[in-house]
Amino acid sequence: MNRAIIDVYALQTVPPSNVNRDDTGSPKTAVYGGVRRARVSSQAWKRAMRLAFKDLLDRSQLGERTKRVGESLAERIKALDPTLTQEQASSLATEVFVAGGLVKADKKKPEAANVESGYLLFLSHRQLDNLAAAALEAARNGSPLDKNKFKALVKSDHSVDIAMFGRMVADMTDINVDAACQVAHAISVHGVDNEFDYFTAVDDRKQDVAESGAGMIGTIEFNSSTLFRYATVDVNALHETLGSAAATQAAVKAFLTAFARSMPTGKQNTFAHRTLPDAIIVRMRDTQPINLVGAFETPIRETEESGRIKLAAAALAEHTAAVENAYGEQPVASWVTRVGDQTSALADLGKAVTLDELVNEVGERISLTLGQPA
Amino acid sequence: MTVLLLKLAGPLQAWGSSSRFARRGTEIAPTKSGVIGMLAAAKGIRRTEPLTDLLGLEFGVRLDQPGQILRDFQTARSLDGRHSAPLTYRFYLSDAIFLAAVQGDAALIHDLAGALKRPCYPLYLGRRSCPPAGPVSLGVEDIGLDDALKTWPWQATDRYRRGAPRIVQLEVIRDARPGDQDTETHPDEPVSFDPAHRQHTWRSVLRRHVPVTNDLAESSGVIDHDPLSLLGG
Repeated sequence: MNRAIIDVYALQTVPPSNVNRDDTGSPKTAVYGGVRRARVSSQAWKRAMRLAFKDLLDRSQLGERTKRVGESLAERIKALDPTLTQEQASSLATEVFVAGGLVKADKKKPEAANVESGYLLFLSHRQLDNLAAAALEAARNGSPLDKNKFKALVKSDHSVDIAMFGRMVADMTDINVDAACQVAHAISVHGVDNEFDYFTAVDDRKQDVAESGAGMIGTIEFNSSTLFRYATVDVNALHETLGSAAATQAAVKAFLTAFARSMPTGKQNTFAHRTLPDAIIVRMRDTQPINLVGAFETPIRETEESGRIKLAAAALAEHTAAVENAYGEQPVASWVTRVGDQTSALADLGKAVTLDELVNEVGERISLTLGQPA
Repeated sequence: MTVLLLKLAGPLQAWGSSSRFARRGTEIAPTKSGVIGMLAAAKGIRRTEPLTDLLGLEFGVRLDQPGQILRDFQTARSLDGRHSAPLTYRFYLSDAIFLAAVQGDAALIHDLAGALKRPCYPLYLGRRSCPPAGPVSLGVEDIGLDDALKTWPWQATDRYRRGAPRIVQLEVIRDARPGDQDTETHPDEPVSFDPAHRQHTWRSVLRRHVPVTNDLAESSGVIDHDPLSLLGG
């Protein structure tokens, strides 16, 4: 097997912000190397990436993750056959999910409008289209859709986002899809203490009458950080789910672009923390994925001479060489996209490219690898 | 017997043995089912396939750096943002380092060590968002599991070791053997990872401590500090 693994590493500075918060409103953190770090959960960033996919891929290559499966399918059925009434389309859609065993028939309200699944169900647009066509065909032939047909339809024509991020259906585990990518929680390369922003908001009308005092007061917790981000894509697994080398290449290219350009939207309007990574390193490997977070186990401490990014870049470059030498794990190919002199320590890690070049070259390399005989 | 040694380290790990629904817990140390699952992933055994040989492995783990429990709060929304799924709490171990040992037939152990260097599926420390920091395999030793966990150097970070005494007592949790006293049981013996009917049976474990020498202990006399001596005690 031509093993192909894409490891993506990034250093990214975010200004004062609260990108991903917990149930008390505090920015998420984790302890690493005995020191508290800023943290952005993998779930938060994966959602940002999935939303970015919408601008990078055709709708037919994407999916929809929703509980409102009935509404979604009914729309498609109606689009295929506009002569149907809304109720007829809804009831056909309901029948599909009842036949599939994902939704129980409601005996009290048999004609209930739009059924919902008990959890977020991830289906590709093509799978939904196929289900809509099958529902209409079944209605015309008078032979209802059965569970096996349903399963066959939701097991083929997977979209890029389903193949990449996986699908988990507790009630029907044989239609699960194993995720081809693994995204680590982003953590800061340095220790952080969350800070509080105390704010007052002035009441416009009160101000007009020269009345002092705030309309409201409050606090927002925040921190600023230089994050280390890591993700890995199992190209072979992706290929197996998507079934074609071209789709696999497109998926990886979209993943790399989305990884670099996306940002979770938490308190975006408050802090405008919309940054791009200071450096992105992609290492293609044929053995195993390697997470280089160990570079920051000892937290970076900025000095008067040097800011965090420069020290972080140096630590990452040094750790990469140390791990790869110790374990004899040289990458098959490597690319670096970086900004400014502060990240020059990373220059030796790979070919210097712009993000567009990086995405294209990784894509080409993948089709080359997948095209080779096993 | 032959032993495969693993270093399980990373900012986050999560080793659940009885998680259900919206509250996903973690044990304080890697579970046998978690590590066997990781080895199965390395070998490319699908969840629905039988685990055969792997079921006979003996397992032990040493808590080199116990880490801290982290509670993570998660929400999920549909792509259009209109609909929310139930809120979930996920627990992680942050900043932990473990030395795990797996003992079995020599050929199988060497096969597993090879698989860890070229894993079929990406490895993770109990939860997919927890990739290990650096390669996992420390190699194969031709000694018993107990000796391996007793003699292998302490894997905690330099910073952690510097703050510790010259001799540290590390907790070891291993499969109990016939005749072992004071064992406890956990629902942590994997039988099948098939998601349609995942099966675990009970596993008897023995907890004890092993003394390990700390070559980074600061000679500040911390270990000699005995406040009770002032009282003549």
